[in-house]
Amino acid sequence: MSVIKQSLRGLIQPLLAIIIGLVAGAIAILIVGGSITETYVEMWNGAFGSFYFLTNTLARATPIILAGLGIALAFRAGFFNMGAEGQMVLGGISAALTALYLPGPGWLVLIVSIVAGIVAGGLWSVLAGWLDARFGMNLLITTLLLNYIAILFAGYLVAYPFKDTTGSAAMAQSAMIDQSVWLPKLFQGMGLHAGFILAIVAALLLYVFMKKTVAGYEIRMLGNNPLFASYGGVRRGRMMMIAMLVSGGLAGLAGAGEVLGTQYRFLDGSLSSASYAWSGIMATLLASSHPLGTALAAILLAALQTGAMGVERNTEVPLEVASVIQAVLTLFVSARIGYTFWKRRKEKQSNGTTS
Amino acid sequence: MEQLLDAALFSSMLRVVTPILLAALGGALCSRVGLFNVALEGFVLVGAFSGIVGNYLFGNVWIAVLFAVLCVMLFSLIFGYISINLKANVIVVGISLNFLAAGLTTFLLRAIFDVKGAYYDNNMVGLPKWDIPFIQDIPWLGSVISGQSPLVYLALILVAVLQFFLFKTISGFRMRSVGENPVAAQSIGIKVRKHQYSAVLACGVLCGLAGAQLSLGQVTMFTEGMTAGRGFIALVATMLGQASPIGVMASSMLFGFMDALGIRLQGFSMPSHFTQMLPYIVTLIAMFFFKDRSYLEDAHKAGGSSR
Repeated sequence: MSVIKQSLRGLIQPLLAIIIGLVAGAIAILIVGGSITETYVEMWNGAFGSFYFLTNTLARATPIILAGLGIALAFRAGFFNMGAEGQMVLGGISAALTALYLPGPGWLVLIVSIVAGIVAGGLWSVLAGWLDARFGMNLLITTLLLNYIAILFAGYLVAYPFKDTTGSAAMAQSAMIDQSVWLPKLFQGMGLHAGFILAIVAALLLYVFMKKTVAGYEIRMLGNNPLFASYGGVRRGRMMMIAMLVSGGLAGLAGAGEVLGTQYRFLDGSLSSASYAWSGIMATLLASSHPLGTALAAILLAALQTGAMGVERNTEVPLEVASVIQAVLTLFVSARIGYTFWKRRKEKQSNGTTS
Repeated sequence: MEQLLDAALFSSMLRVVTPILLAALGGALCSRVGLFNVALEGFVLVGAFSGIVGNYLFGNVWIAVLFAVLCVMLFSLIFGYISINLKANVIVVGISLNFLAAGLTTFLLRAIFDVKGAYYDNNMVGLPKWDIPFIQDIPWLGSVISGQSPLVYLALILVAVLQFFLFKTISGFRMRSVGENPVAAQSIGIKVRKHQYSAVLACGVLCGLAGAQLSLGQVTMFTEGMTAGRGFIALVATMLGQASPIGVMASSMLFGFMDALGIRLQGFSMPSHFTQMLPYIVTLIAMFFFKDRSYLEDAHKAGGSSR
């Protein structure tokens, strides 16, 4: 019974939030003077209207799922990893450079490139974890600041030493990756690539890890009640490093997948302008860090974004409507986020409330 | 070196530092009542945008500043209500409000001005530059301090006012006690919520001013995400300054100096990527050297809002 309850609790919140988000979207549509029904029909069509649009949505969801999973893991342990964007960009550039300059058979280079992306993201993230565990530098802030540094550094790499000099375009981008190293597409002529399968597998693995392993239990314990966890012998610093390593690794994988499966090169700003990582954070907040819920929420957010592009194409309503809906969704859920932290609140209330 | 560290550099430092300083003062007030405000970035962004909108609607820069302040106050009420009344996790609320600020500003940019990315109007009048009598005649200092926008001077005055308020007045003392130990404060009849709300609202006012300085101070324009992490740098300034206004000013000045230096170094054929990194790197280094355990611990209670 409690299992059903738990999984329901993970799902009810997002569903409620979606309704609130759509109402906010309706208000936004009215402000611009569009028709609500027409806009939402177009949004649905743009997201799921045909097989092509559906795969398009799932392709967009791929990096959001992966980044979101990483953030969810850190959140569950009580760490605010806000650095997914920088970890993703470093993962992307590392994968691109490995794929470009490592000799060998295509499939092997592909695997090494993906690993390189995971490692780069993980190391960048662990750096922040280490700074917190070792020197007490606030993780939330350091991860945020490291984002800017990572994005600028990757931008420098493709603007100067590894700039694509073959084309006439003055874009800051790396050279094109050889076709033998590309992540295969799942369907001929569609945007969806094998990275999506990796993302789904990662979601399932993370779910099992959180539910069934000792380490997963320790992470949940640390997030729910740090005092109890330390009493039970969980070493917070070590846990932080491990959680951040995996968290950043997943974000790095998201970046690597985007580079090897969609763009086939590293283009400066392409990973950050689509704000995959921030959508990942939103997905995590929407699903209160439940791995499978995060994957679903990521697909929902991707659908909102691709749907909004359809709205932009076919109506007068701007695609920015999606960002309003997403933000209201997230805010609504965060306002009622009692679930992950309610235990601690209860404990607070037992030694006197301040309200 | 001579041409690098001239008066113009320090003058631009003062201009650049003002949004950070104002936002950091707001953050310090929130810290003092035990609310770790991660939404500074969003607050300033809303301020910058509504400053431009106010200017566009009313055609008067002073009303525009007032409009920005009012808009951010409204926005900060959302933060206050959800984190104080609904007792949600302060950090999560802050993060979501940053999303809301980004979403609203990009949407309204399209809805009001029908542009994407940036709005720029040649005919818009920005904040005036005030020359201060006597000071402007001092050789080097005059060119640094004089000729800034009124908000720069207001920010410097506010530092002194807040310092006095927090450490020399009864209500300031009460406000600090709320953050120190809300249960104890409540028990001697201090209205905890009232103080928390007034701190949040004051933070809204300060961030509104910060945003106005950002979008109306130098060139009158708004670009998507124009805060570019300044709100987070302000958050660090809050932490490093031990949440005392004077300390906050000192740490803000350091970042402002680095920001201005970075802009200046671009003229010295250094790749702009590295010059833009400067403020963030210096912020990290500063965090390393000036640790403030008490506020870090507040943040460490991730999830446990510090009430």
